[in-house]
Amino acid sequence: MAGMTQAQMNEIAQVWNRRGKGLITDMALRIEEISAEAVQVRMPFNPDFCVDADQTLLHGGVLTALLDSVFGLANFVAIEGVSTMATLDLRVDYLRPAQSRADVIVRAHCYRQTRHIAFNSGSIWFDGHANDEIARGTASFALTRGENSLYSQIMKEPA
Amino acid sequence: MTIDAINANVSRVPFFRFLNFEVRDIGERHAEAEMTFATRHIGNPVTEYYHGGIIASFMEATAAIAVRPDFVKMPAKPINLTVDYLRPGVKGPLHARADITRKGRRIASVSVLAWQSAPDTPVAEGLYHFLLV
Repeated sequence: MAGMTQAQMNEIAQVWNRRGKGLITDMALRIEEISAEAVQVRMPFNPDFCVDADQTLLHGGVLTALLDSVFGLANFVAIEGVSTMATLDLRVDYLRPAQSRADVIVRAHCYRQTRHIAFNSGSIWFDGHANDEIARGTASFALTRGENSLYSQIMKEPA
Repeated sequence: MTIDAINANVSRVPFFRFLNFEVRDIGERHAEAEMTFATRHIGNPVTEYYHGGIIASFMEATAAIAVRPDFVKMPAKPINLTVDYLRPGVKGPLHARADITRKGRRIASVSVLAWQSAPDTPVAEGLYHFLLV
């Protein structure tokens, strides 16, 4: 994919990592790998995201939210000149109980893009257990393109 | 099971407190809940819309309560979900209604609608499966 350079992607990762509002702040996400082919993000354990009193079992919704966020990031770096992006639909399979206090790893990519739509897929596992996926998801996003690209909007904002 | 008793159990689930919602209505085959907006629910920092994952999580929570309103510790076990996002969720309360389409011995299918101003202008629509065993 021509367009965005690795340096620009790294720049996006830095801005994204220190972004200070909303759910991704609580999730304390850290981008570990970023390219047009795939993005990988780490979420540390957070007891607020659990369903049980012992706080060892993550709520499925947290995994759904993670996929939605990381899909957005994957599209951002894979698609040239996007100005807005909205999740059209999202499907998630919960493959195993998300029972661990280990960091959560999410890996996602945009596997097809057209002028108006992006298609994504991604996987989630606990750090060190890449062979025991806990969730897998797919999504489609509606895109708009224009002069005011998402990249320029984000880079314009004061850090 | 009274609504107060259900809400008492809801308040003991850490992630349900994070979502910050209350059950408003419960029946044999449905549940309704209302979530109060908080900064931590924001997905888009510029527009301050709800995060799609928070909307899906709230719908999942409402569906789980419809399936098993008498849960004490753990809500019903989700298998998978599909959500259609129809409109942005803006700052303010979000409503969800979960209707059980089918509840067998092992599996339940639940249809959920989320809206803000009125149910005929939904924010999202979803289908959720739960394992009952």
